[in-house]
Amino acid sequence: MFEWFWSILSYLGLYYKNAKILFLGLDNAGKTTLMHVLKDDRLAQHVPTQHATAEEVIVGKVRFRAFDLGGHEVARQIWRNYYTNVDAIVFMVDAVDRERFLEGKAELDRLLADEQLSDVPFLILGNKIDVPQAASEEELRTALGLHHLTTGKGDGFRGMGAGGGGGGGGKDIRPLELFMCSVVRRMGYGEGFRWLSSYL
Amino acid sequence: MSVDYSQLEEIDGTRWTWHYWPSSRLDASRCVVPFGCLFTPLRPLPNMPAALPYPPVVSRDGAVLNPYCSVDFRARMWVCPFTFQRNQLPPHYAEMPEGQVPPELVPEYTVVEYRLTDRPPAPPPAFVFVLDTTVPAAQLEVAKEYVLKALALLPPDAVVGLITFGQNVHVHEIGFVEAAKSYVLRGNKNYDAAAVQTLLGLGFAATAAASGKAVTAAAGRSLHGHASGGLGTFLQPVSECEFMLTSILESMGRDPWPVAADERPKRCTGVALAVAGALLECTYAGYGAHICLLVGGPATAGPGMIVGSKLEDELRSHTDIEKDNAPLLKKATKHYDELATRLVNAGHSVSVWGCALDQVGFYEMKACVDRTGGVFIMAESFTHPMFKRSLEKFFERDAEGGGGGGYLRRHFVATVEVDCSRELAITGMIGPCASLQRKSAAVSADTEVGIGGTSAWRICSLDPDTTLGVFFEVINPHGNPIPDGHYRYVQFRTTYQHSSGEYRLRVATCAGRWGDGNDLALLSAGFDQEASAVLMARLAVYRTENEEAFDILRWLDRLLIRLCARFGEYQRDRPETFRLGATLSLYPQFMFHLRRSNLLQVFNTSPDESAYFRSHLARVPVSDALLMVQPSLIQYTLEQPPTPVLLDVASVRPEAILLLDAFFFVVVFCGDTIAQWRKAGYHLQHEFRNLAELLQAPRRDAEHFIEHRFPYPRYIETDQHGSQARFLLAKLNPSATHTTGHVDVLSGGVAGGGNTEFLYTDDVSMEVFLEHLKRAAVAAT
Ligand SMILES: Nc1nc2c(ncn2[C@@H]2O[C@H](COP(=O)(O)OP(=O)(O)OP(=O)(O)O)[C@@H](O)[C@H]2O)c(=O)[nH]1
Ligand SMILES: [Mg+2]
Repeated sequence: MFEWFWSILSYLGLYYKNAKILFLGLDNAGKTTLMHVLKDDRLAQHVPTQHATAEEVIVGKVRFRAFDLGGHEVARQIWRNYYTNVDAIVFMVDAVDRERFLEGKAELDRLLADEQLSDVPFLILGNKIDVPQAASEEELRTALGLHHLTTGKGDGFRGMGAGGGGGGGGKDIRPLELFMCSVVRRMGYGEGFRWLSSYL
Repeated sequence: MSVDYSQLEEIDGTRWTWHYWPSSRLDASRCVVPFGCLFTPLRPLPNMPAALPYPPVVSRDGAVLNPYCSVDFRARMWVCPFTFQRNQLPPHYAEMPEGQVPPELVPEYTVVEYRLTDRPPAPPPAFVFVLDTTVPAAQLEVAKEYVLKALALLPPDAVVGLITFGQNVHVHEIGFVEAAKSYVLRGNKNYDAAAVQTLLGLGFAATAAASGKAVTAAAGRSLHGHASGGLGTFLQPVSECEFMLTSILESMGRDPWPVAADERPKRCTGVALAVAGALLECTYAGYGAHICLLVGGPATAGPGMIVGSKLEDELRSHTDIEKDNAPLLKKATKHYDELATRLVNAGHSVSVWGCALDQVGFYEMKACVDRTGGVFIMAESFTHPMFKRSLEKFFERDAEGGGGGGYLRRHFVATVEVDCSRELAITGMIGPCASLQRKSAAVSADTEVGIGGTSAWRICSLDPDTTLGVFFEVINPHGNPIPDGHYRYVQFRTTYQHSSGEYRLRVATCAGRWGDGNDLALLSAGFDQEASAVLMARLAVYRTENEEAFDILRWLDRLLIRLCARFGEYQRDRPETFRLGATLSLYPQFMFHLRRSNLLQVFNTSPDESAYFRSHLARVPVSDALLMVQPSLIQYTLEQPPTPVLLDVASVRPEAILLLDAFFFVVVFCGDTIAQWRKAGYHLQHEFRNLAELLQAPRRDAEHFIEHRFPYPRYIETDQHGSQARFLLAKLNPSATHTTGHVDVLSGGVAGGGNTEFLYTDDVSMEVFLEHLKRAAVAAT
């Protein structure tokens, strides 16, 4: 279903070029690991990100200009320098590190409350589900207080949706959804990006 | 049989890649690793005699008399070991009592220093502080405080000046004036020395700027005569302006220009730096002077801007630079390159103290620092110890010289001249220097490595650690054997302005042996793998200026394979027979880590960070550079005294603490079990005092590393599986990964039953790397 949908889109040349996205989230969530997998299809161990970096990555049929920002507390001060013209936020959460769910929620709430980002789609990735102790989607949804915020995993083009939570939502509602993933097993985030692409 | 080459370094400040050189050009070319050394011109040497109070004896060709010269006192002649020309000794050498030799001829004194008392001393060094006032108020307060701290650390006769900038540049009057006054220069214009001279009403003839000599004389005169000219207005000895400067700084607020919400502050860093350069060019040309740029964000205005002031304009990344998608890059780099040339010509240096969470423009500015012997400091803010402690260290003084705490460890306007035997030739240097474009007979006719084509280089400022990578080649033709008992000689002559104002000349003469190019055992025996790894690292990093990282890695691999094919022992096409002798055995490991290091890898690294790491590699001595390439790792346990362990993920154990020294950062990493004990508070209980001691020991040792380090490193304490543990993990050889052995991660096994650490990485481990190397080496033709 998706394959067909995407090939039609790319045939029509409808894919979005150079969408600006930000990888945000607490330190150690897996942002840089994901960025590297998307860019070079390679897993590697990275040091905590100090300066923001930018890469061109292609997911599905969409080319993104992705910014990977450091997640440690001090580095979060510069997140807002990158908000202008942003097309989407990818917010990553370490689903294993329950001690920091609250801290993650606080940062997410701050982002959601930011006026500059008021209509920007949010893809929330609950990472590291390869680890058995990782929180389930439901647990993470609760911990992050997302129950009333998520807009459904349909693809936004109403009527063409491939099932899920009922597609899109109204025009004024910011698309926001949680996808569970494991970057190291290269699973889960693809669906997330596909969902996101439909709002670009 | 391994030689401790760091001992040799204590003798003359050099570390040579090879100690035996093949006597023919052809054989030399088969040695793969270049012939050369890391040379620390002002390294304190325990055996060096006190500075000699008389002028050196110099040959017609510029060589200085040294213990390797044959001398005939009776005939008052000495023979230059480079050219074999005979030269006259001054008369008083003939009158030397029987059996007594002057220090410069004593065999142990291959390095001597002369006090060049015939030259009038230089004025005290000048320091111009260039301060960014667009940073948040709390940051600005600390930056100001540390400028004042620097004044307090400087000797009272050191000359200082103050320039502040935001949208515009303010040059502050610090002479005796009633009210604080500053000259405002527009931040969107470029100023050369002549323009600054006019605008600031500097008291010298306008023509002075055009001729270096005139300016020099003027500077000397007006400093000593305390003339009322521009010099006294903007530059003053600390002792006379400290009060004025304190009150200027205390009353100074942030840059008054409003900053819109979607904008960065307007910051004309490039212009401020150019004005500081021009001010010194008019007043201090030829004399030691240093610009300290304290900057809290990117240059967003005027020449040298690296990003627009609108936040929608993005800072360039490595990918942008690769894809030629950084519109301001070329222009900005050109601005700083041209400024660097002016600084070098005037003998002045720049240090950039970038204190920000994002990039400030090191990448564009690097010529101003790297060509002048300056230094980059990178810290996340002015309140961070990496800024504060580095600054204190920068202005440290030595024990020498009486009264008020010794002389600055930093010296100025050095010229390093290199001379060598005619069987070899100088190919170039890689280090914080610039070419003086003097082509002596010792310069290679056709090969250039790094900054080449000259036998003399300028280092505008240097400290006892400043280290140069010097490259040579053997040019003796193949069929021209070198007689037995013949040595090869290299002489380094470093003339510099000591921070006391006195001019000095340090002469280091090194003798080395020739060897049969086919005697591989002999050549190997003289291989210094640490020096070689570091010199190769400098070469590789130098190449990043013009080449893609991928090509550089390929090149490093090719050279490593060729080296192993030449010097390894093996049977053809049988990898299992491959062996490397003790003197080469660690070299492949160094290359493995060098390939992985962020000296060469740029993913997850900004252009500024790369410029920063690379700048320091090209400045520090062998031991520090090795830490950048392959950090050291020490293990602490309850059972054993601290022991060095492999830089390998297998060294991570729950019941051990690890101490990693990676030069730029130092990590104390607590294994799981010990971290649990600590969290449970066991170490506070009397009966577990040994645990308390175990927790303390690595911290103490870390402190010891840090104490001697410049710049002040990032210090991290972390537990296994903690977020910051990645500082350690990223450096480890991934001998165990999610795809190897014992851990069935993909089906969800927990960290190997809690006992073995592994990494999520597709990177090849050292074992695989070495396997490939062996196979390639035994197959190479
Ligand atoms: N088990 C598991 N570990 C992961 C996964 N993705 C990343 N990691 C690990 O978690 C850590 C995350 O590191 P980074 O990607 O550097 O984290 P980051 O979000 O960029 O962190 P900052 O740069 O500090 O903001 C690394 O040690 C990864 O190996 C995953 O899917 N599963
Ligand atoms: Mg990161």
